[in-house]
Amino acid sequence: MINKDFCVCILTHGRPDKVLTYKTLLKCGYTGEVYFVVDNEDKTVDRYRENFGDERVIVFDKKAMADSTDECNNWDYRKVGVHARNACFDIAKKLGYTYFIQLDDDYTAFKFMIDTKSTENCGDRKSIKNIDKVFDLLLSYYKDNNFLAIAMAQGGDFIGGINNGVGSYRFSKRKCMNSWICSTKRRFKFIGSFNDDVNTYTILGSRGNLFLTIPLVSIDQPATQSGKGGMTEAYKLTGTYIKSFHTILMHPSSVKVAMMRTQNIRLHHSFDWKYTMPMIISDVYKIF
Amino acid sequence: MKQIIMFPAVVKETRYSTGIEVPVYEPKNRNPSVYELYDNAKAMNLIARINESSLPEQEKRFLIQAAYRHVVFNYELIADFYAHANKEVQELMEESALVIIDFNKAIELGYVKVCEDIKHQYMEDYIGDIQDNGGNDDQ
Repeated sequence: MINKDFCVCILTHGRPDKVLTYKTLLKCGYTGEVYFVVDNEDKTVDRYRENFGDERVIVFDKKAMADSTDECNNWDYRKVGVHARNACFDIAKKLGYTYFIQLDDDYTAFKFMIDTKSTENCGDRKSIKNIDKVFDLLLSYYKDNNFLAIAMAQGGDFIGGINNGVGSYRFSKRKCMNSWICSTKRRFKFIGSFNDDVNTYTILGSRGNLFLTIPLVSIDQPATQSGKGGMTEAYKLTGTYIKSFHTILMHPSSVKVAMMRTQNIRLHHSFDWKYTMPMIISDVYKIF
Repeated sequence: MKQIIMFPAVVKETRYSTGIEVPVYEPKNRNPSVYELYDNAKAMNLIARINESSLPEQEKRFLIQAAYRHVVFNYELIADFYAHANKEVQELMEESALVIIDFNKAIELGYVKVCEDIKHQYMEDYIGDIQDNGGNDDQ
């Protein structure tokens, strides 16, 4: 890594022997610093320390973080990821980093997603070999612009192919999910104990804050609710009905729920971007 | 959100797409009426019911403020409107974050550059190993 002011924070809970993201990072050639962000209500903290070393396992006070977060409900239910996301800003700052990427713990690949102009082969989807370089490129763009966060794409963005016949990378680039590149100098708070990523980019984005997805790189992870630990228990407890409605509660003017007809049919949030995010336009339209 | 394709990239391999779709909106020539920029039907409906209620004034005021959460803004038309507005209106729109101005095309050009750089990194990683079909690292 050229950027020494950057680290990776893997947000993990109850999976000390199955932090897939760490293995995947190493496989992709990552040589920078990695920290494992674990909460103090996780019974497997000692096992994390055994596996990754005391200095790399950072334990935060989950109840304290919950008390300072808008969870969008009053259930006092903390088996969710939003608190780790919010804790990362202080953790990175204390460790002496300005920039960090927060990753979930279940990524099985970091990939290039390259459009080959063909709708038949879904493009080139190959593992990144030098992820240091990719992180440096993403960071360079992030540092040069006033984004609150940017992210890599995720597998589901490419349903229908990289080029789906209508065009390449047809999902909105104004979203930000999963792999958030953030700065301790551009702090913001994740919102809601469910759908925290969508709530956050929707609400803050609608107020003119910038988020972006870079579509040529992507993470892969197992189908939602298929693994033990992490958010699976929370989703199984309430279903995606509750999850999706958190975003409607927070932004009722543009968010709806709709059936997501994938292999695992479920309710999912749905919104029209033109009713949600202020447009970015060139300064040629501005009268100076 | 309709986006625009600009700056076709210079890539030797013709196998790859050369356009990068930037997340920047191109305002249209038509100047929309200010009434087209938002839809407040639901909010007005709620407010009418609140006003008809026998609630105390303070509670009414709170509920009326909350009803405005249902006003739907059309940010594409708002950007079109901005492009035709005078300086004073533009400045007030900017302060209210109704549009985001990409000064000196920093977002747009930076986006094209990071996408091109990633594509070049891919080619560097997989030079000589690129097949037309198959060979992808799917799980």
